[in-house]
Amino acid sequence: MSSLTKPITSSPPSSSPSPLRKKKNMEDERRMSTRTRKVAPRMAAALASADNRTQAALARLEALENDNAGIETVEINDDDGEASLDDDDDEGYMQKRHSKGTKRKTRQAKALEDARKAPRSFLELLHEANLESLPPHVPSYLRAAVGPPSKTSRRHFCTVCGFSANYTCVKCGMRFCCIRCQNIHDDTRCLKFVA
Amino acid sequence: MSNIVVLDNGGGLIKAGHGGERDPAVTIPNCMYRPLSSKKFIHPSPTAASATEDLTSAAVRRPIDRGYLINSDLQRDIWAHLFSSLLHISPSASSLLLTEPLFALPSIQRATDELVFEDFNFKSLFVADPPSLVHLYEASRRPYGLLSETQCSLVVDCGFSFTHAAPVFQNFTVNYAVKRIDLGGKALTNYLKELVSYRAINVMDETFIIDDVKEKLCFVSLDVARDLQIARKRGKDNLLRCTYVLPDGVTHTKGFVKDPDAAQRYLSLSDGSRSQPSETVKDMDRTEVMEEARDRKRADLAKNEFDLTNERFLVPEMIFQPADLGMNQAGLAECIVRAVNSCHPYLHSVLYESIILTGGSTLFPRFAERLERELRPLVPDDYQVKITTQEDPLLGVWRGGSLLASSPDFQAMCVTKAEYEENGSARCRRRFFH
Repeated sequence: MSSLTKPITSSPPSSSPSPLRKKKNMEDERRMSTRTRKVAPRMAAALASADNRTQAALARLEALENDNAGIETVEINDDDGEASLDDDDDEGYMQKRHSKGTKRKTRQAKALEDARKAPRSFLELLHEANLESLPPHVPSYLRAAVGPPSKTSRRHFCTVCGFSANYTCVKCGMRFCCIRCQNIHDDTRCLKFVA
Repeated sequence: MSNIVVLDNGGGLIKAGHGGERDPAVTIPNCMYRPLSSKKFIHPSPTAASATEDLTSAAVRRPIDRGYLINSDLQRDIWAHLFSSLLHISPSASSLLLTEPLFALPSIQRATDELVFEDFNFKSLFVADPPSLVHLYEASRRPYGLLSETQCSLVVDCGFSFTHAAPVFQNFTVNYAVKRIDLGGKALTNYLKELVSYRAINVMDETFIIDDVKEKLCFVSLDVARDLQIARKRGKDNLLRCTYVLPDGVTHTKGFVKDPDAAQRYLSLSDGSRSQPSETVKDMDRTEVMEEARDRKRADLAKNEFDLTNERFLVPEMIFQPADLGMNQAGLAECIVRAVNSCHPYLHSVLYESIILTGGSTLFPRFAERLERELRPLVPDDYQVKITTQEDPLLGVWRGGSLLASSPDFQAMCVTKAEYEENGSARCRRRFFH
């Protein structure tokens, strides 16, 4: 099922079928290519930088905004499980599949509909709004961000026990304060956010 | 005059009630949750009466992501439940005053308008931004204070999804000067979750419980280096260690702090290094008996409890220095300075003198004190810095909204359903100066 929905969300028509009236309201120059990207900007940044450590740091920040630990994407449409079972049946009986052609189409249409209605994450919407194209004097979500700190120094806390950490893991870049914490780190979650 | 519903649709809590009243009639979490025992997502009950629910390992769905409404289907469910069974109003006979975070994207505004007018058929809508409402409320409380005479203030809203420093001038938010840190209560809870899960018990699924831990035990440190030293000590010298007992589902369904007195001991830590020793000695006398008993019953994992030491202050610390978390953003004090500096120089002195703290994350003990300490060195010394805390930071925005809704010309400011149908969302929004 997931293989079925994925191309649909990223396919061009997903953003175009809005009514004409709405289209007119949006300024033309702010419209970008109709192809929606699946990756969030932060992830894109992470993918661009081959550095494992930045990837790990970004993934960790991203995780802080999750509602549930890890099961986020599964929750979105509830009737998915049922549909995927049906699909498996269809694969088995080829003739049956042909006879059920019309029904299948409706199901596909339904999936398309669902994908259109499925909530998109804020980062996707943000990317779609294309705020970068606004002239620099217009206040927007992006310009309201506070920006980097003036002091570049950052305090490091041991990821194992929380005290100030003087050492960096050579493999994954996380911090620890002593040999004991290093051992714990190596045993438990070295490279956890990288892989 | 008809019924006006005031709805502060926050990422964490919905505050809803009737315009003109002092307190919202309903405060519920803006989410649906699914307890382990159920297959369906259900509505949480109002927070005041939530003693009976079992929230252990509940999965959560929130309509709001990073502060903005992204899932209008879910929001419709929650609002429908709110309007029909909690507030008992009929939307088609009422006006709505809705709060919306600053800089909502056009697509989000459109979705919100559709929700209000097409799904619920509200008679009219007014969209307000939180900082101006907070300013309105504070100005009305002290009609002769500096705030209401200068008509400007700096509202620092440290909420569930993010933190804004927003200058308000003549009751309007100066939107080009607003600065935002992408850190709020949700990120702090998740951070605490991550720390506890790694160091003690896996609580990655326990959003509600860790929220409770955060509210009860976290505080803002006035001297991080010193507190880290204290947190490192063993036994009774460690004034910061305290134990939280997780619910066991049998005798108690809510978690609790094992020794509430011990949890308050950090308050005895004085600020100055000079007077500190005598104070701690006094403190030791008081708690000595308790200490011995406590050391014996140190946290024991089999009994589903965990100790917190430095996590208690390192978690709220992130608001003051997000860089520690690896975020490339300035801390709260610097955020305020940048917001003020983006305004006209004539306003600077007044803004620094009327800083209002609001939002749930400012409820950490000593938040204002710490902020003042960080802010003072950054502000030119001929300006005064004065930080006002609200008596109830969670409800500040709502009360401002209630005040606005009870003003005589409120109806004239609204966009009616007919106007919406005629002009569409984008036109109507111009009226709110967004």
